[in-house]
Parts: sequence; structure tokens; C-alpha cells
Amino acid sequence: MRYLFGNGASRLAPYLLITPGLFLYALFALGPSLATVVFSFTDASGLPKLPINWVGFDNYKEFLTLGAAARENLDALVRTLIFSVGVTVIQFSLGLFVAILLNQGLRGTKFFRTLFFFPVILGVTIQGLMWTLFLYPIGGPLATVLDWFGLQSEFLGGQPREAFIWVMVVQIWANMGITMVIFLAGLQTIPDEIYEAARIDGADRGQLFRRITWPLLTPSVNTNLALTIIGSLQAWQLFYVLISYRPGTQVLGYVVYATAFGQTSGSTAGTTFRQGYGAAAGVILFLIVLAIGITTQYLLRRREARLLG
Amino acid sequence: MTALTRTAPVTRRRFGWAKLAAYAILVALAVVYLAPMAMLIITSFKTLPEFTRDAISLPKSFSIDNFVEAWNKASFPRYLLNTVIYTAASTAIFVVTGTFLSIAIARRFVRGSGFLFTMFLIALFLPPALIPQFQLILRLGLYNNPIGYVMLFLVNPIGIVILVNYIRTIPTELDEAAAIEGCSYFRFVIQIVIPLIKPAIATVAVLHAIGVWNELILATIYLTKADYYPITRGLIVFNGIYGNNWPVLAAAVLMIAVPIAAFFILMQRYIIGGVTAGAVKG
Repeated sequence: MRYLFGNGASRLAPYLLITPGLFLYALFALGPSLATVVFSFTDASGLPKLPINWVGFDNYKEFLTLGAAARENLDALVRTLIFSVGVTVIQFSLGLFVAILLNQGLRGTKFFRTLFFFPVILGVTIQGLMWTLFLYPIGGPLATVLDWFGLQSEFLGGQPREAFIWVMVVQIWANMGITMVIFLAGLQTIPDEIYEAARIDGADRGQLFRRITWPLLTPSVNTNLALTIIGSLQAWQLFYVLISYRPGTQVLGYVVYATAFGQTSGSTAGTTFRQGYGAAAGVILFLIVLAIGITTQYLLRRREARLLG
Repeated sequence: MTALTRTAPVTRRRFGWAKLAAYAILVALAVVYLAPMAMLIITSFKTLPEFTRDAISLPKSFSIDNFVEAWNKASFPRYLLNTVIYTAASTAIFVVTGTFLSIAIARRFVRGSGFLFTMFLIALFLPPALIPQFQLILRLGLYNNPIGYVMLFLVNPIGIVILVNYIRTIPTELDEAAAIEGCSYFRFVIQIVIPLIKPAIATVAVLHAIGVWNELILATIYLTKADYYPITRGLIVFNGIYGNNWPVLAAAVLMIAVPIAAFFILMQRYIIGGVTAGAVKG
């Protein structure tokens, strides 16, 4: 658009005003983000005095092929995918289902919406501690309930597989609200008249959903899938709060953090900060996110073209 | 008319069952959502022996001893003050710089506006900035320094995207009218655009503030001195020390959760508006 607020020096006014914001973005977000790739080819550590050397693809080779650690890394990679698929499928379906229920004009809708969204803003610390209490294995609340039925479980302290599933549960509990409100906003854009017309034509509930709701919800479906897939691939902070770095449970995001900031195997200080290696792990995670992201975008576009023409 | 009266009762009865089922599902889910929260509240009023005997039963007396103990032993006032300072400082700087940036980009007042907007849009997909950011702060000598910590939260690409999309909905006739009146760019931005985009600014400020308030990992990486801890880090450390004394720990968690809940209820419109902004448009 044409600039209307004078020429010469006053033409520079908008440039002047964007400079601080742009500078901060370049320095603290975009720059470091791209520099991750550069760092992944070095042996950078977390200590300021040590020199940084180029090591080529060594970090990548080590991460993917060297001994037991590499096997653990590949396990973490598989686990990340399992976590992401599980969380995405359940959070997406549950969010859609709840949004549809809350779009029926039922009484108390506002209460349910507020309640289901509330965990989102509590943040991982409170989410995590709340569930740590709830799942406290020795006489904790859920343990007591299980005890009534003669059952018991160690929950987060149990076998890696069990702990992992509980983290998934908390992750979905914590973030389903986001999916739900995005679907609700989408549902509210569908005019009632379309449903009325279809009902007059004798469409049943299933047909209303398949022929009207689902196709017209495409923009929210796309947004939610993208957000949930990317979010769950990168998620790891609840692992940190709920079970910390435990063998057999880590996901890639946690591996990046733990190797770069020396918090592997529960120890928190004194261990090495392998930032170059951590950066390589970060780039690998990024490439996975990118590949999955592009594939889903492609599939969603094709679906959108088919549905909406 | 006759056709309507004939079918109406049938539909209504079917709808009644569906309604009941809908409520049953919603209530069941509400239990899952409320249970951990309710247990936190109940536990915070119990004594430790009471909790050990029966974790679920209601407390015998509603004593606030746990709260007093948590408040005193967890350095709460200090951590809370730190969190407030970090949140306020970073949100203020981000909102001011971000608003100026978004106006120019939305109105294409600067060259390469489209490119700049794309840069913010793709930020979500880029590799994590964690490691180089750490190297940067370290080399600036701002590691373990509150100023360095605040610097980590001065940008928020999603906030820019929300602002730009909102500003684009304001008719450009406004710009022309202002220009004809001989308004300068600065006055146009401050006196005309900013008052009009207040709801979007509020949304972005609230979302950003929540993010900073809840941050745990960056606080763990960057702040090792206890005096600088925000409340999240303070809680985790407190958890390490009081790991088995759940009543006191629950009281500590609750004291942080309640203000957030109050804030959420007040600001719900802005928060949910921010989350759904742009989502429907796709």
C-alpha cells in the first residue's frame, strides 16, 4: 500500500519504529534458531572459555550410529513418534467430540468449556505437580481409589512403559482445551440454516456430521492437526516435571535438552554440556517435524481441494 | 402445520435421550478434569498423618497451617516478586516493539513487509533456538542474570501474527483520512491505530504474560542463584525438598494456581480469543 504520511525524512518513520522489534527477533529468535544448524557441526560446550572446533558430521554420526547411546537415541526417536501419534489421535478426536457436545446449546456449556480449557494456562509446573500428587503411588488419591477395587499401580514410578502412558494422559489432559476451543470457533461459523435444510431433507445425525460438519470444519481440522502434531513432536517438558530423565522414557526433545545442558540420568550438575551434539539432535528433531509437517500439509491441501473444490 | 405437530414430539423425545447422553459424557470428563484439582485443594488443608491415613477423605478441620508453612519456607514472596518482574518487563517490551512492527507490516509501510511476515509465520516450524541462545547469553555475560533472563522473552512470533491479522481488518480509509488531516506517522500510530487495536494488544499481552509466568525450563537453564528464581523454579525446588510432605506442597502449588485461575476467569475472552485467532480462517 502507498505510504501517505509524507516524504523525505518522515518516510523513514515506520522503519525507525520497526527497528527495535526486528532487531530483537533477529538476535534472540531467528538468528539462534538458524544457528542451531551451524552449531550442530561443532564441538561447542557450555563453557565460555573453551574454543569451538568444526567437527563436520561427527555429531550426527555419533548420534545415529555410535554404540549403546545411538540405540537409545533411536529408541527415543521411535518413542517420540509413538507419543505424537497417540497424543494427536486422542487429543484431536476428544477435542472434536467435546466441541460438538458443547455446541448443542446445552445448559452449563460455559462451565464445561472453562473447566476443560483451564489446565492450558496452568503451565507445566503446576500441571505436573498436580498430577504427581494425584498419582502418588503410596496411598495417593488414585492409588486409594484403585485399592477399593483391589488394584494397584506405581503410576509414574512404575515400568517405563506405564510411566510413559501416564505422561501421555497428562499431556492430553493439559492441552485438549486448545483443540476444543479451536473446533468450537470453527463450529460457530457453520450457519444453522444448512443443518435446518438438511434436516428437512431427512438427513440423520450421522449424515449431518459427515456431509456438513466435517467438510465445513476443514480449516479448524487443518489448524488443529498442524498444532497438535508439531506440538506433540516437540513436547517433553511434562516428562521433565513428571518423571525426569529416566531410561526407557525419553523423547527426542528431552534428549536435546539433556545432552546440551547436562541433565542426563537424573544428575543435575557437573556433567558435560555437549551443545554441539545437542544441536545435532535438535536438527534431527527439526527435520522430522519438517518432514511430517510437509506431508500432512500436502495431504490436508489435497483433501481440502477435494472437499471444498 | 399438521406434519410439524406430528413429528415434533418424536424428535423432542429422541433429542432428550441424546441430551442426557451428552450430559453424562460431559460430566464424566469433568470428573477427570476436576479430580486432580480437587485433590490438590483437599490435600492442602490436611495434616500429613491425615493424608497418609486416607488421601481422599475430606480434611477434619480446615486449617491454614500448610499455607503458612509453605509461604514461610518456600521463599514465596521473593520468587513471586521475581516472576512478576520478569513477566511485566518482558511483556511490556514485547508488546510495545511488537505493536510498532505489526502496524508497519500489516499496512506494508516498509519494503519487504510480506517477506517479514512470512519470517514470523514460519517461526513455529524452525529448529529450537535453545542452544545458540544460551551461547549468546553466555558470551554477553548475562548468564545467571535477571536481565539476561528477561531478554529471552522479548519476541513472540505468534503474537505478531495475531496483531498483523487484526490490523488488516481495519479499513485503510482510516489511514487516508488521517493523512489528509496532516497527521504524522507517529501520531497516526499512537493516537489512531493503537486505540483501535486494543483488544488484539490485550490478547497478545495476556498470552505472552502467561508464557513467561509459567516458564520453567529456561529458568532452570539460566538462573542458578536462588535469589533470582521465578516461582515455577521455586516450586520444583520446594518439591525436591518437601517431596513427601504432600499437604504443604499442595498448599504451595495451590497458592500459585489460585491467582492464575482468577486471572483466567477475568481474561478468559482474551485468552480464548487469542488461541482461536486465525484458526478459523485457516
